[in-house]
Amino acid sequence: MKIEFWGQEFKVNLAIGIPGAFLIAIASSMFGFGGGPFMVPLMAVGLRLPMYVIVGSSLLAIFFNTLMGTFRHYGFGNFDPIFFLIMFPAAILGGYIGPKIAKKLNPVMVKRVACVGLLILALQLLGVF
Amino acid sequence: MKRFLTLFTVILVLTVFVSTGFAQKPAEQKAVEAPKEAQSAETVTVSVDKTNLSGGGKLTITGKAPAGKDVYIEVWAEKTVRAARLDADPDPKTGKRPYIFYMTDDMPAFYRLIVPEKYKPVLEDAKSKGGKWSVSEVIKNAGADAVYGYPAKLKIDRYQTSLWASIIGSRGAKLEPMDEKENKRRSMQLLKARFRSVGNVFSSNLKIAEDGTFKATIELPANTAPGKYFVVAKVDKDIKSEPVVVENSVTFPSVYLPNAGRTVNVIWPFLLTAAITTFGVLMGAGGGFILNPILVMLGLPHTVVAGTVMPTVLFSQGTGIYNYSKIKFINWKLGVTLGLAMLAGGFIGPKLTELITLEQYKFLFGWVLIILAALMFWQTTPRYLEKNKKEQAILKEYQKRAQEAAKKKAEGGK
Repeated sequence: MKIEFWGQEFKVNLAIGIPGAFLIAIASSMFGFGGGPFMVPLMAVGLRLPMYVIVGSSLLAIFFNTLMGTFRHYGFGNFDPIFFLIMFPAAILGGYIGPKIAKKLNPVMVKRVACVGLLILALQLLGVF
Repeated sequence: MKRFLTLFTVILVLTVFVSTGFAQKPAEQKAVEAPKEAQSAETVTVSVDKTNLSGGGKLTITGKAPAGKDVYIEVWAEKTVRAARLDADPDPKTGKRPYIFYMTDDMPAFYRLIVPEKYKPVLEDAKSKGGKWSVSEVIKNAGADAVYGYPAKLKIDRYQTSLWASIIGSRGAKLEPMDEKENKRRSMQLLKARFRSVGNVFSSNLKIAEDGTFKATIELPANTAPGKYFVVAKVDKDIKSEPVVVENSVTFPSVYLPNAGRTVNVIWPFLLTAAITTFGVLMGAGGGFILNPILVMLGLPHTVVAGTVMPTVLFSQGTGIYNYSKIKFINWKLGVTLGLAMLAGGFIGPKLTELITLEQYKFLFGWVLIILAALMFWQTTPRYLEKNKKEQAILKEYQKRAQEAAKKKAEGGK
């Protein structure tokens, strides 16, 4: 598939893009997260698109997944309204504070901290310690 | 404040009055038959030290049963939650996996079977088995088969599921209801699926004296559901006491999550979510990756965690899309094409959440996080950063151009 972005033309390999997006959507809706950190590498490495094409379009693709996942979870009775009412304002608050701190921090440092944090969490889930 | 307290006391007294009034009704009817039972001395009486609790607490249960008999006490909450389990264990005879999905919406939010103190080793033994313990084994070894009553009668639905049914998003064909014995057996498996650990289902805090008087203590945790709790002492299937009702109340800032089946203090999940979503923004990923495993480890059911965190990010994603579309930074053709593939995936995923057990959820999520950590690490390597620098510069340039174009358009419009 050919796409045009600000006058530049890019070729998108759908044989990688569609199955990849499909599998990421299954996994992320199953565990209940967005899927962004997996879609961005898929589009960057798998589809060889530059970052400025990816940022907006990946968000749009993920939105489809979140929307469908929300409806499906609701249908299966997995949605807790009171819990949602507690988390929703907190998530908005986080979305407001985040960008303000972001400018003051070194993004590479943040990613390294995240990397260690995720590993600890993963090992705990796997019951290593 | 004082007026508030008075009002509260009045309501409390009224609730006690009404609830004890209800509880006494069957007792009065029973009183007519009482002499007959007294003759055979086969009666069990039970009472509790308080009938009102606030945010859980310790309850002392005393009573009298025929001398020399084992007494068991069942305690359960009126509030109900969902419990589900996929039976995929191979049949010992044929080796075929049944793939039957068992589900009930009537599981009490709290259940405890208190067995006599002498069966403590049975519980210890089950605890030492870790995740492989079974409710039916404990019940059998503690001699509680005849007294295991309330959950045995739960209405359990069962569905013959299959890969195809999962793909089209159905639970599969609903099967005939089970007979009493099978229903009892499955209810024990669902108890484990819901309450996870031995200590959440059983307790051996029950002392029985030689003359048949008994005393038990039970701790209702602070996160337990509000509403009525029923206490019944049993010697046998038919020799049991009338239920005693205890009312537990929950006051703000603690709230009861009806689907998760537990009470939480609003402040903690709020702070946790705010902190993690803030960090999520910083690392360029949604907070769900960190938030979900923490919530699951705190003891919330994984289905409820997945089903409730997902809608919370819907709004922020929507605003993100709006902001990017304003500066024409979305290629709709690419986004919608991949989006449709994700739409199909998002249809299947939530079905799987329901089918997997907590252990499988933790195992798979653990590996997902390891992959994510590897991706994060890759994004800090010098080669990636070099490439990213150039692209960020282009991104900024485009954003500037887009803003200027938008400005010009606005001016032209005047």
